[in-house]
Amino acid sequence: MIHIKVIFILLVLFLSNTNVIAQNPRAMLNQVQIKINKANNYKADINIKVDLPYITMMPIDTKLYFKQKDKFKIDTKSIAILPKQGFLQLNMLVNDTVNYTAIFQSKETINRIKTSLINLIPNNDTSDVVLAKLWVDATNLVIVKSQVTTKSSGTVKTEYTYGAQLAFGLPDCIKFIVDIKKFKIPKALAADINTSKSKKVEKNTGEIIVVLKNYEINKGITDSVFEKVK
Amino acid sequence: MLFKSTYNELLKIAFKPRSYIGIAGIILIISIILFAMKVDGSFYISLITGQFDQSLLFEGEILNGNLIAYIIIQMLIIHVPLLIAFVTGDLVSGESAMGTIRLLLTKPVSRSTILWSKFFASCIYTLIVMLCLAFMSFVLGKLIFGQGDLMVLKSDGLIVFQEGDITWRFFYGFAIAFLSLVTVATLALTLSCFSENSIGPIVATMGIILLFTIIGSMDVPVFDVIRPFLFTTHMAAWRYFFDDPLNTTNIFYSITILVAHIGVLLAIAFYKFNKKDILS
Repeated sequence: MIHIKVIFILLVLFLSNTNVIAQNPRAMLNQVQIKINKANNYKADINIKVDLPYITMMPIDTKLYFKQKDKFKIDTKSIAILPKQGFLQLNMLVNDTVNYTAIFQSKETINRIKTSLINLIPNNDTSDVVLAKLWVDATNLVIVKSQVTTKSSGTVKTEYTYGAQLAFGLPDCIKFIVDIKKFKIPKALAADINTSKSKKVEKNTGEIIVVLKNYEINKGITDSVFEKVK
Repeated sequence: MLFKSTYNELLKIAFKPRSYIGIAGIILIISIILFAMKVDGSFYISLITGQFDQSLLFEGEILNGNLIAYIIIQMLIIHVPLLIAFVTGDLVSGESAMGTIRLLLTKPVSRSTILWSKFFASCIYTLIVMLCLAFMSFVLGKLIFGQGDLMVLKSDGLIVFQEGDITWRFFYGFAIAFLSLVTVATLALTLSCFSENSIGPIVATMGIILLFTIIGSMDVPVFDVIRPFLFTTHMAAWRYFFDDPLNTTNIFYSITILVAHIGVLLAIAFYKFNKKDILS
């Protein structure tokens, strides 16, 4: 009988705690933050596939380095294209508990994952971020989707797929959906002197898919890695 | 006999100071471009990437030897024909002006052989100029700016070629550029057969290139019919090798038009030279 009481009390405590997290978006983001910050530094092999209007390029393989709190480097001699609101912005948003207010909006299911949609609204009008929407997997405490609107770069939607490094909140695949403005270049600059008609591109959004593998987490990365070679 | 005659023509070209103007011009212009790019290349890069700056971040070395080579060829391919015409427009008319053509035609060599030798000599000179351009842009550019992927700016977007996928494009690009320069050399040589002085064929060649280029670059429907048949339209055919996917139909069409021009111009030149009265 005592055992049943203890189990009941523990169950009530657990449920109430979960409920607190679900109802308190900041608490949920704090949990996400704790998970993300478990990886103090990491490097990974990445494959970047670009499917954007007006840009043609083959996928490239390279290495990504990250070190808390904001050191980030793509180590490539090849030309790589990434969204301007890339890897760091989400970390920055989740870690910033002062300048943004988290508001719970709704519960949604994305790819059979139950998520809580949390809106982050800046506390002052000088912030570049206008609105950030984060779909947080309440079970695994990771962000599965985000939509960040900034004054400078427009809106970028991002979808995250997790695998082996779920414990560190590190994704195996990130899909960025980017808005691209209409491409216009003077004919003389492009020097297509004999091209009278240019191809019409209908869509103005494109995707950049980054596949991450062979993570090496918390093995230590020196700061010199992040220094730009002149 | 043709070989010896061609060798003689090459010697004549080699001993004319004007033959070095083209090569010196290319060396000077490319040196200026290389200097400007080394000092202020980031400005040019911002012109390329500026359209996407709002939403995209470009990583890696965009300003490298391959891009420099591409920029130089793009800039110079319009001007090099003028330097070529400077020498090849003088091959027959220069001899008429100096009076050496009478002596030349007294040799036991047919007129056709002499003209063939002048044509081959002009092709070899064009090749030397082209190799100079290739060395200065492609080799020197890579030595100064290093290797890397090539980002090509087109009027309808950007194409990024990976480093391993570039050299063959430049090789064939230079080859087709050489063919277009040979067309110009042949035009100058043909006009040279009609003239008794050097200035006329050179200026006429420049005028024709200028006129055809203007017609080719004007977006006026009335010129749509003739534009595909102008040789100047196909002088930019080297750029087809920097398309993805490769448009082989356009490449072969351009080669056909350029070869056809060379054939027709040579036929006119042979007809005129064989019928030419030597009055000087």
